[in-house]
Amino acid sequence: MSRRYDSRTTIFSPEGRLYQVEYALEAISHAGTALGILAKDGIVLAAEKKVTSKLLEQDISAEKMYALSKHVVCAVAGIDSDASRLVQRARNMAQNHLATYDEEIPCDILVKQLCDTMQGYTQYGGLRPFGVSFIYAGWDPVQGYQLYQSNPSGNYSGWLATSVGANNAAAQTLLKQEFKEELELEDAVQLALKVLSKTMDSATLTSTKIELATVGSGADGEVKYNVWKPADIEVALKKHKEAEEAQKK
Amino acid sequence: MSGYDRALSVFSPDGHVFQVEYAKEAVKRGTCAVAVKGKEVVVLGAERRSALKLHDTRTTPSKLCKVDEHVTLAFAGLSADARILLDKARVQAQSTKLTLEDPVSVEFITKYVAGVQQKYTQSGGVRPFGISTLIAGFDPNDRTPQLYYTEPSGIYSAWKANAIGRSSKTVRELLEKNYEPDMDEEQTLRLAVKSLLEVVQTGVKNIEIAVMRPGQPMDIVDAERLDAVVTSIEAEKAEAEAKAKARPVRREP
Amino acid sequence: MDILIGLQTANEVILVTSRAISRGVSVLKHDDNKVVKLNSYTAMAYSGEPGDVSNFAEYIQANVALYGLRHGIEMTPNSVAAFTRSELARSLRTRKPYQVNLLIGGFHPREAKPMLAWVDYLGSKVDLPYAAHGYAAYYITATLDRYWKKGLTLEQGLKLAAQCVSELQTRMPIDFKGCDVHIVGKSGIQSADLPPIVVAPGVANKPSEATLASA
Repeated sequence: MSRRYDSRTTIFSPEGRLYQVEYALEAISHAGTALGILAKDGIVLAAEKKVTSKLLEQDISAEKMYALSKHVVCAVAGIDSDASRLVQRARNMAQNHLATYDEEIPCDILVKQLCDTMQGYTQYGGLRPFGVSFIYAGWDPVQGYQLYQSNPSGNYSGWLATSVGANNAAAQTLLKQEFKEELELEDAVQLALKVLSKTMDSATLTSTKIELATVGSGADGEVKYNVWKPADIEVALKKHKEAEEAQKK
Repeated sequence: MSGYDRALSVFSPDGHVFQVEYAKEAVKRGTCAVAVKGKEVVVLGAERRSALKLHDTRTTPSKLCKVDEHVTLAFAGLSADARILLDKARVQAQSTKLTLEDPVSVEFITKYVAGVQQKYTQSGGVRPFGISTLIAGFDPNDRTPQLYYTEPSGIYSAWKANAIGRSSKTVRELLEKNYEPDMDEEQTLRLAVKSLLEVVQTGVKNIEIAVMRPGQPMDIVDAERLDAVVTSIEAEKAEAEAKAKARPVRREP
Repeated sequence: MDILIGLQTANEVILVTSRAISRGVSVLKHDDNKVVKLNSYTAMAYSGEPGDVSNFAEYIQANVALYGLRHGIEMTPNSVAAFTRSELARSLRTRKPYQVNLLIGGFHPREAKPMLAWVDYLGSKVDLPYAAHGYAAYYITATLDRYWKKGLTLEQGLKLAAQCVSELQTRMPIDFKGCDVHIVGKSGIQSADLPPIVVAPGVANKPSEATLASA
């Protein structure tokens, strides 16, 4: 019986639900946790990298953080191959906008356009929805720093702090407790590490197990994204560990 | 339960197109939206889903959307679907204006939106749009308020006041009871807010209201004005309750 | 034969357009408006093939309006100019390209800065402090080169524009039926009149240093 509404393309169930979309969400709930926090002077994205085997090369570049345009970077949770197709699409959209309007694509327009693509895959026959949720961190001169989250249905909304993937309920509760409006970017990074350390399976955080990306203004005052190098992550982790020990005492 | 609801758009022997009916269920699961016509005004209102503490209301998209400067659309149902339909309507509005030089009439754009919805119930390989819409505004050089309702099947109709989405039946009953012809802006606004408060508990934070006036673009009611209306409605309710309590109650011995 | 002049002042852009529509040796219309309002802070002056111009202007107008509705925010003058240019560049590679030349004047409300873009039918776009299209450019570029200065007041700008028009009236063997003036600034788009320029009959129309300095 249960196969009646979920075997073929995306169609409505009698309760008006789209099972294919809900199953895609299910796929994402097993993916490594990703989270984003909006600070006063920037945004941080953090994600758990699942290390499946000791033999896996660890030194390849970031695999959960993708820059989409000059001022927008995203973290993915879900099926990686689906994600990379969408990332490619998004980068194309961003460059098309730049070519047509001589302006960096505003963050909300990029998110909206990408979500329109995802919506198409829930309405037209013969296609399955994308199995990815994104968290976007971006900046534009109109709305400043912005944090969004989208899911396979093509829905998106703006957030102050949010998370997706495995354990996201726990992460969300923690974020709700600890988030403050006046958070500085540096503190937001520490909060992100704190949340990850509580929700990840492994006991200790290392730079091989997590990824970090930030959007903030650089030394020259211009807003830039930064996908962190392992060495920089280690520095932040050191601070995190010190804070943790200080608290124990 | 005989397989007639599996294919995308097929009649069952007793004359149902199930996918369309299920799409209406999706609408019922959506957040509530209302619209009320006054004398020379239309007020639209929508429920803002659970303003979770961490939601950024600044960047979360609104459910009251401009189709053109003189037409506003409110929807209930799958918001991703709504975005697509809305975009089609916006393109049509500008494209029609480009050919005819006049802005579209509210009925014309409603007919178009309903037409697109209909097409998605009949053509192959697509599912219907999981949304109902309320389309309101003023025709160019006309002070008569216009309000239309469209549903996933592609049917559209004109209304004095209507509600869609979650608990829309309760809200519509309240509207039926309280609607009066030729209300001024304040009364219309009050009725719209009052009807939304039937389904939204937390008040001001979780609703948004837009006012349409002849020849003017959509005006989103600011928090201050909304707050005043909500407070006065709540005061009125409290007073009514107090009166009811004051009445002697017969006790069982 | 149409005249399009644009010049930037410290806080505004002034667009000057001729009122005549002529075909061959005949004037067909004497009160034509060659400026279209694209959004609150962007105006476009156009000239070229008569059918093409209105068609193209309306097309751009519709698309700029659509962008505003879709994204809930108006396009900046700079992005309007870039979009318009890209549409002309696309059109150039079709079987029948639009024969349209444009000046796009705008005011950037966020940065409180005016901007003027010169765009031609080949899809070139240049941001300039002052610009003109057509024959007018031959006559007045020298005047503007000589008298345009950074940070002109609106009054000085209008005077300089009047000087240009007067130069055209003196030198050009065409009756262009006078000019319309549009100003784009922080309060949006307004039309204006040129201040009168007194020219003694038979005297070459050269402004004295004193008149300009006093402006």
